[in-house]
Amino acid sequence: MSRGAPLPQTANEVSSFTPPLGRTPGFLSRYSSALLLLLVVGLEAGVVQFVIRDFHSANTEVQSMYAWSVLGLRRIGGLQYDAQETRRSTLYALTTNDSNLQVEYADQTREADKRVTEGIAEYLQQARLPREVEVGNRLQADWVAYLSVRDEVLASILEGSTKEAVALDLSQGVPLFDRVRQDLEEVKRLYDEQASQRLANVAALARRSVTRLFGVLFCTLCLASVFVWVLQRNKMSSTLQLARMQMDFVASVSHELRTPLAVLCSAADNLADGVVSGKEQLAKYSSVIRNQSRQINGLVNEVILFSSTQNGKGRYVLRPLQVSSIVVSAIDGTTELIDKAGFTLQQEIEPSLPCVLGDSSALSQCLQNLVTNALKYGDRGRWIAVRARLADSKDRHRQEIQISVHDRGAGIDRSDLPRIFEPFYRSPAAVAGQIHGAGLGLPIAKSLAEAMGGSLSVQTEVGIGSVFTLHLPVAEPSNRRVPRQEGPSVQI
Amino acid sequence: MIFRSAKFVLLLAAAAVLSQRAPAGRGEFPQPKSSETLGSLAIVVNQSNPVSDLSLAELRAVFLGERIHWPNGRRITLVMMEPGQPERDAVLRDVCRMNESDFRRRFLQGLLTGEVLVSPKTLATAVGVRKFVFNVPGAIGYMRPADVDASVKVLRIDGRLPTDETYELHLPERVDR
Repeated sequence: MSRGAPLPQTANEVSSFTPPLGRTPGFLSRYSSALLLLLVVGLEAGVVQFVIRDFHSANTEVQSMYAWSVLGLRRIGGLQYDAQETRRSTLYALTTNDSNLQVEYADQTREADKRVTEGIAEYLQQARLPREVEVGNRLQADWVAYLSVRDEVLASILEGSTKEAVALDLSQGVPLFDRVRQDLEEVKRLYDEQASQRLANVAALARRSVTRLFGVLFCTLCLASVFVWVLQRNKMSSTLQLARMQMDFVASVSHELRTPLAVLCSAADNLADGVVSGKEQLAKYSSVIRNQSRQINGLVNEVILFSSTQNGKGRYVLRPLQVSSIVVSAIDGTTELIDKAGFTLQQEIEPSLPCVLGDSSALSQCLQNLVTNALKYGDRGRWIAVRARLADSKDRHRQEIQISVHDRGAGIDRSDLPRIFEPFYRSPAAVAGQIHGAGLGLPIAKSLAEAMGGSLSVQTEVGIGSVFTLHLPVAEPSNRRVPRQEGPSVQI
Repeated sequence: MIFRSAKFVLLLAAAAVLSQRAPAGRGEFPQPKSSETLGSLAIVVNQSNPVSDLSLAELRAVFLGERIHWPNGRRITLVMMEPGQPERDAVLRDVCRMNESDFRRRFLQGLLTGEVLVSPKTLATAVGVRKFVFNVPGAIGYMRPADVDASVKVLRIDGRLPTDETYELHLPERVDR
């Protein structure tokens, strides 16, 4: 047993690629419309909430303005009426000589002036602007001055001095009451100005709300359009890619079938025409027919296997398997090919590895595909290594079994890496090198690995070689290892 | 000249009619007809009035129109209740010391001769009197102490308030019917 030279790896030259899990694109593709609808509904819900909040704010502002204006104007109107009532009741007392009636009018004017005084105090209490305070204070002073004259006029009326009362009212009462009236008009004008200002604010708020609404709706429309465009483009791209792959597949399979079929037809013609004579030639033709038939059979089997792996997770019975048995099974299935190709096989399996969870035949098939792939593309070095070890998974939250197949072939070009796991894909180098294949080996291996809950990754360097690694979850806690049953390495 | 003589004759005739309607005869005081007294009588003025104490003689001069101005210069306005009210009877009896007809005749004559400038104001209720006094700075009136509130000021008469035992102004005793 000897260890072959490890694959040289330089950090800045080695290309590494792990294909995305096969379920994710399918899931996204299957539910993309629903996701898009959900996204659009969510956006619309957000927009509606935003608009409702904005309109609620505008409505509150309108209600506040309406209440403020109506109540304010009503209060000013009440003040004006009560001020007039104060004067009117005083003058009513002049119209009678009955002291009882005069006293009633005096009561009425005093009740009215009390309401005016309270209204002015309330106005001053609510006044915020300096202009409001100034006008309110002036109104209060003028009202007090008028009331003092009113009291004198009232006293004169009650005393029976009508002439004095009239003279006093004309000389002092009328001018003072005119000032009060002007003050009240000033207060009303201030209210009107503020109401106009608030109305303008509400109008601006409404305009802003409408602008926001249109803006948000436009953004939502644009976003939805972009999503729909992206979705349609992806679907179109996928459809085109699928069609292209199907055509490539047909071309590839046709090519792969045509060659052995041509050989078979030629051999059959020769046999039928009696060209073949002698036992030795007959044996040679039989061998050719058998080999070509096997090649056709293998190709057909590969196509059928790929078809069955596309949705085949549920078809496999997963059970704990020893890593060594998987590797041995895979190598046994490819020994003939390895020997025939003249490759050296190096096998390195860490002792006491824990079991993995999987289907024995599926994992064996997966590894065989990787080994066959290495045989096809590792012709330059004619060396293959199969290694198994326990390592941390990529997310480092658990441990996994890594079974890797190394070759010293031409390596894979960086531009081909994302596509080598696509079904029916043949790299230009493989086509140019006339390497037979349908482009299904690696996709089948990837599908099988994912069906077992694992994954497949590749590290490669052009001119040096490639390493395909099968990542499998351990079936039980990593500290529990099965007894070692195989040697550290086997060389065939 | 003719109009002035006619006015004088009319005033005399009115005084004669009023004196015939008066419940008591000339020179007679209203006499209490029951032993039950109704309490004292408060003399009230406006709160702005600087006077707070009057002698009974000064009060009489005020109620008879002999004194027409307060010390602050304000003209005195006399407020009376309607005839027949016990309060009015008490004032006529205790302050003016005359009956209703004499009181009326005196003021008619005063107005006629120019000795009295303004006749007393007559109000129907104590509330009316109180409101009148409240509204007129120079007013003086009377009412039962129970009708007094903070809007008017109660005068001391001879230094006594209605609550004092020696207060001299009392309502007449209730009339038994």
